[in-house]
Amino acid sequence: MVFNTPIFFVFFVTFLLFYGFVFLQKKPRVYFILVSSLVFYGAWNYKFIPLLVGSAVADYFIALAIGGTDDQRRKKLLLTLSISINLGILGLFKYADFVLSSVADFLGLLGYQASMPTLEWVLPVGISFYTFQSMSYTIDVYRGVMTPRKGLIAFTTALAFFPQLVAGPILRARQILPQFHDIPTPTWDAAKRGFLLITSGLLKKTAADLLAAPVATAFDASTAVSTLETWIGVLAFAGQIYGDFAGYSDMAIGIALLIGFQIPLNFRLPYIASSPIDFWRRWHISLSTWLRDYLYISMGGNRTGHRLRNIFVTMLLGGLWHGAAWTFVAWGFFHGVIITATHALREIDWLKPFHGSSSRWIKLLKWAMTFYLVLLGWILFRATSLQSAWDIFVNMHVWSNTPHTNPSAWIIAGLTISTLVWMHLMDAVILHKREAIEKRPWLLWPLLILGQTLCLFIGEPSNEFIYFQF
Amino acid sequence: MSSSTSSSRGIYLKILTAITLGMGASVGIIRLITYANDVSGDTILGRVYEARDALPQITAEENPVVMFFGSSMVEAGFSPRQFDRQAAEHAATVKSFNFGFGGLNPLYQDYLSRRIEDAFNEKNRRLKLAMIEFNPFQATVTRRQRALPDEDAFITMLADDKEIWEWVWRDPERGIRMLNIRYIRDNISAEMITHHFGGDLRAPMERISGRDDEEVVKRRDELGQKLVDGVREDYPDYPNAAWYYPWQGGGTIPEERSPEMVAMYHDYYATLRTEYRMKSDRLRRVQTADILQLNFDEELIEAFIRIVKNFQRFSDQVAVIMLPRNTAWIQYPPEARARLDDAVARIERETGLEIYDFQDLDAVTPEMFSDTTHLARYSGDVAFTQHLVETFAEDLKP
Repeated sequence: MVFNTPIFFVFFVTFLLFYGFVFLQKKPRVYFILVSSLVFYGAWNYKFIPLLVGSAVADYFIALAIGGTDDQRRKKLLLTLSISINLGILGLFKYADFVLSSVADFLGLLGYQASMPTLEWVLPVGISFYTFQSMSYTIDVYRGVMTPRKGLIAFTTALAFFPQLVAGPILRARQILPQFHDIPTPTWDAAKRGFLLITSGLLKKTAADLLAAPVATAFDASTAVSTLETWIGVLAFAGQIYGDFAGYSDMAIGIALLIGFQIPLNFRLPYIASSPIDFWRRWHISLSTWLRDYLYISMGGNRTGHRLRNIFVTMLLGGLWHGAAWTFVAWGFFHGVIITATHALREIDWLKPFHGSSSRWIKLLKWAMTFYLVLLGWILFRATSLQSAWDIFVNMHVWSNTPHTNPSAWIIAGLTISTLVWMHLMDAVILHKREAIEKRPWLLWPLLILGQTLCLFIGEPSNEFIYFQF
Repeated sequence: MSSSTSSSRGIYLKILTAITLGMGASVGIIRLITYANDVSGDTILGRVYEARDALPQITAEENPVVMFFGSSMVEAGFSPRQFDRQAAEHAATVKSFNFGFGGLNPLYQDYLSRRIEDAFNEKNRRLKLAMIEFNPFQATVTRRQRALPDEDAFITMLADDKEIWEWVWRDPERGIRMLNIRYIRDNISAEMITHHFGGDLRAPMERISGRDDEEVVKRRDELGQKLVDGVREDYPDYPNAAWYYPWQGGGTIPEERSPEMVAMYHDYYATLRTEYRMKSDRLRRVQTADILQLNFDEELIEAFIRIVKNFQRFSDQVAVIMLPRNTAWIQYPPEARARLDDAVARIERETGLEIYDFQDLDAVTPEMFSDTTHLARYSGDVAFTQHLVETFAEDLKP
């Protein structure tokens, strides 16, 4: 059940009817959200509901136990248990086959023909999101950042909360849990913001689905692809992944707002970033801050004299979080390299004026370099293998043409670039002019209806959200 | 009731009202656009709907009813009025109908066959003979993939309410999508609109280089216009219907035309069968239906088996038929032949029927085709229909 489908519309309207008019007290509302969230999750595969609930139950009691003891050794042991459970679930379902097949490949390289059995288990939707979210709770309690709160149902509901369950944003317990202990009531202003974000998300998702075709031309073609179409494909993927994921996040935030819940922004105009570091402050903010707070800082952060190593390892594991494939490892590695390189370059004295320059041309140059590097990263992210990624990289940089080049390629290039610009313009308006729009009903409602109409007018079959697979 | 509860209810009432009005306005605009562009189920499935609407009249026919159900190859290759005339010569009085439709695949035909069954059951009537075409080109993975954007909309257009609700229980996501397409979107899905308008942006398919001789093109255009004018003159009452009841869903027959006009048809088809056109046509069908390799889609084969079973429930006799193949242009490599043999064996096993394989019929030669797959009017359809009469006349006798 995805947000841009009629079944979700039916689900959500039914949910609102019961939530707004039948379950009016705090406790029944929490129970109702939990049941609805499990129905939402079970629509994919109900067999994984026990895994989700089990993860919540385990971390709830572990957090209580951590909070209930002053013994540091015992606290550490309990935290290790929580991390082991969460990473164990993740490892078993997401990474086991990748490790086994990689070992077999490695032995093959050494000349041993090893046939490794693989589990071939279905990957539970949203597993990477809810395990990280759940783990952050026990870590926060361990660090004393928050005290454990009683209420297993509230905790499980916070973890399973349907708007953000399957593709984030990855919420911290301290952001979401209090809202389930003191159920919020939406204001009309928040609801208007919610409508605006839902429409913006739907438009982005619709654009992302349309961009899937030029992406496939560049990445999935069985014959040679021209340089122009390769560039279009890579640019289109930048738009597709942004529209898909940011679109989902916008809808998640908007849907939560309609019932009064606050979820923080997950994207902030990522493609205007002026450096790789800046990019990660704008892209998938809930993951990058999670990795910073729970991995980078745990490794010592800036303090140990191994800052660059810590950043590099964080990015490498961040890449692996996205998927069990060497292309994702390479993507994380690549971002680790460009971020550490950026930090290293900032330390070079004669380059310092360049970094601090307010010249428009230097800013433009920094943006162009960053965007180019991000595009190169997306090749690794989307390619089906490292070899394919290399071929696409070469295709981008060594001019070639083919007899099969689409005569409309320049039009598609124009549309792809316009889509990227338009998505950012829309986000910029929502970020900076949202209140002005919300105050003008004559502008807000026609804009919303126009947006909805566009989304209902255009559609591509079976393009699920890309981040569901992570 | 506390004031906070009532204010909370007020907010949710406002939210739900905004959703209802907003969606209502958006859907209204969409319907206005499709209406203004004359896009509807009627315009998309014109011939199918016209045939379906004729079913009450067909089931009221006095004589035993014969139906040939299949693709555009049946539409072009079966002449029902000729069939009836020649069957009468064999002392078999029947009324036959051409239910061949282009652009469908067995998934959609399954629903159409159920509508036919409904109509016959309603009148407590049985088909004397149901001839069902098994067209391998309609059942390939490529054919299915190319129609995917339109699949739910087509099913919605042909299914009845009960079947759509069955979808809702079986696959709620798809079922509710179909309910939305039928009741909110007037049968036109967003995918269908995008597929239609996005056509110009898709990469063009590989093409055969070259072109037809200009003299041939000129001659073809002239003959084409004369044939159109000839139909207008010979059939002034013809309402330009896609499925015309007096013609029983088929086309015109040579007995009604002058020998000059029939000769003109033969000339016209000869101008269509140039090497360039035939090569282009074959390549296009390879790209759109995988007609040489025949990689079958399991679901389409299963749907075809359901079609046969649907007809078996209300027909005295069911015959599954493979239409003549243009052997000059369509030759299967051994692996495709093996796949076809497997599919045929499966259909025979699951339906209990032996397929009439007329693919290599001697009576039909490559000169009797208008392209690489369709039989030509007044030659191919005549020869094939005659062969059908010879095959089934004995069974049709009272």
